[in-house]
Amino acid sequence: MLRDAFLPASLAPRDQPHFRAVERPVRYDSARWTPEGLGKVVAALHEGAAALREIPAEDLLAAWGDTVAVFQRSTSLERRAVDPALVRLCGLSRDGLTAGLDAVLGGVRREPAAALFAQAGRAAPEDAGPVLAVLASNLPALAVQPLLPALILRRPVLLKSPSAEPLFAAAFLAALARREPRLAGAVAAAAWPGGDADLEAPVLARVGTVLAYGERKALEDLERRAPGKVVSYGPKTSLAVIGSGVEPREAAEGLARDIALFDQRGCLSVAAVYTAGDAAALAERLSAALLDFARRWPPGSAARTVMAAVQHQRLEAEMHGLWQSSLPLRDGTVIVDPDPTLRLSPGLRTVRVHPLEDLARLPGLLEPWRGRLQGVAMVGEDALGLEPRLAELGVSRFAAPGELQSPDASWHNGGINPLEALTSPWKPAPYR
Amino acid sequence: MILDRVTRFLTAPESDSFAELALAAFAWQLERIEPYRRMCERRGVTPETVRDWRQVPPVPAAAFKSLTLAAEPAVEVFRSSGTTDAAGELRSVHHQPFPDLYRQVIDASFPRFCLPYTSGGRLPILSLIPSREQLPDSSLSFMADHILKQYGTPESATTFGARGVEAAKARSWAGSRQREGRPVLVLATAFALAQWLEALERLGLKFRLPPGSAIFETGGFKGKTTELTREDLLARVQDWLSVPSDFVVREYGMTELTSQCYTRALLGGDPDLFVAPHWVRVRLLDPETLEEVPAGTPGLIAVLDLANLGSAVHLLTEDLGVAEGEGFRLLGRAAGAELRGCSLVVEELRS
Repeated sequence: MLRDAFLPASLAPRDQPHFRAVERPVRYDSARWTPEGLGKVVAALHEGAAALREIPAEDLLAAWGDTVAVFQRSTSLERRAVDPALVRLCGLSRDGLTAGLDAVLGGVRREPAAALFAQAGRAAPEDAGPVLAVLASNLPALAVQPLLPALILRRPVLLKSPSAEPLFAAAFLAALARREPRLAGAVAAAAWPGGDADLEAPVLARVGTVLAYGERKALEDLERRAPGKVVSYGPKTSLAVIGSGVEPREAAEGLARDIALFDQRGCLSVAAVYTAGDAAALAERLSAALLDFARRWPPGSAARTVMAAVQHQRLEAEMHGLWQSSLPLRDGTVIVDPDPTLRLSPGLRTVRVHPLEDLARLPGLLEPWRGRLQGVAMVGEDALGLEPRLAELGVSRFAAPGELQSPDASWHNGGINPLEALTSPWKPAPYR
Repeated sequence: MILDRVTRFLTAPESDSFAELALAAFAWQLERIEPYRRMCERRGVTPETVRDWRQVPPVPAAAFKSLTLAAEPAVEVFRSSGTTDAAGELRSVHHQPFPDLYRQVIDASFPRFCLPYTSGGRLPILSLIPSREQLPDSSLSFMADHILKQYGTPESATTFGARGVEAAKARSWAGSRQREGRPVLVLATAFALAQWLEALERLGLKFRLPPGSAIFETGGFKGKTTELTREDLLARVQDWLSVPSDFVVREYGMTELTSQCYTRALLGGDPDLFVAPHWVRVRLLDPETLEEVPAGTPGLIAVLDLANLGSAVHLLTEDLGVAEGEGFRLLGRAAGAELRGCSLVVEELRS
């Protein structure tokens, strides 16, 4: 039976939480947490720190690389155990889940992980304390992103899984600990209702750093309750810029991947495309490519609220007389919009293509989004030339179309160096 | 003229047929509202091809944020109170050429649902809704202003200031009315009502509003930060004002519409089931196909409101609901476009 928690090996049996079977909507064993129980988990992690510090880098890297490889293989026992549950919990299709896991895990496989090990040099100070990583619910497997740098720096980690998907982190840690038992006392995963101040108080008091992913309100709440400890990864959106000389055919396939992956739920999912070329031709190609991706990575379940929002965008575009694709609602929506104002996507692979003859205008147009832009997929000389100005607006990732959603372990998510976030006193930047 | 026919129909349902009026209103709007005409032309839809009011193409509420939809020059311009931030979230704008029709709509529906015991008489009304002076472009303030003038006694008052509900004034008003012993009516958004109740709770001050007093509540919590559920709100209304939950009438309206739907709480009906007046038809549409769904299946709310003659008689709202019996229940709102990893939904307010 799957569990929503992985407990540190050093946690005494009497301190372990009671588990009971739940069906939400898949069946798994769920831990019942109390403030004391969570406090004891963090205390156990403190105790496990010494063993973690003794693990040679090559052993840790080997265990990490093996575990990631196993989870990248959809036929592995580990994947076969969690996939059916993840498909239901995350609302992704099976192929969509596989593609998503491959993109996330590919970025932390052995080679990029080794590069991050090399960058790190030495462990964090002994008194740095455990790291609490508060994970967001929009994407599966994000646990690996904060986990890797924390382990590289030999800091114990408690992964707080989102209630909507509480299983991956626990399964991953179990697999990792099987491969490197010396870290079993220094890692934990648990799921509890986020924002419960009483429950979280002992945890926030005893961890050294909180890496928090999620909505602004939740992040602000955490910053208030754990002042000086929180490194926030707030909500952001991404876009694409296509230069004037780029063949639409050339860009469309990659753009469609950047839109369709994770059903457009990631902060690196492309929500809008600016092109100095033929917008109509690009939109047509993109539409065809999205249809193709709908076959390869069928869309997952769609909430009525999201479908309704997409319908509104389609109908509004129709009233404006804008060109739009004729794809089935779930497969994607492409709208050619001459208004260059960036609009967020409601999801379901919905994207606006904005013709913009002079791409140099783009940074000015995006100024209102300063601090809320994550990535830009770009191709073409005039597009690539914008990188410094877009970076100045806070864009933290630039990549060719098709690569945007596959950052590796060294990516500075939100402009934050993953190692420095865990080694330096961190002063969170204001969200806006 | 169609305006006269619709106006007459509000008070004399036997004077016309809803179906015929809907088709006539569609043809009238098609002729006058260019963006709508263009959309219909592209679809090949004309008054000749539309045989049933259900076939009238609905206008998405989202279009009110970016298009001017006006059949005649606007006399009032109403704006939703959703935030217009630098990142481009827009407010709905309803160009209302027929404010008198709006007043007539209120007169033809509000007393029936909210004042069934007054026999057309006036009563003391406390409004926790911003006044017209405060929010001249708010359709809800327009409505509250009309209600106060038309149905309020001289003691009636608005206690909503620049910083929200003026709790002290509202308290003093309620105290006086409690002493007088006459039933009163409180007009409020759910959020304002919650604010006032919180203030009373802080002071530990309970009122016993006279028996027969009622509350007109609109607008949900509209994206504000309160965590209060509706059940909690009703419990607090009972605790702090002594108004039972079956004396709380809910109204469903929006900036983009002219008419309102109400619950029949004061008439002994289900306190959460909205019913439409006879000049309005509400259907629930599958958000994926936009086909009508059977009762009991959640869908997007589409409203054919004959009184929305000035802009869009057939409106596809952003709300989700479920049809039941003679009415519908409200379930929630279409998701907003959002930054990922979050739910940065800028919920539109009907102001």
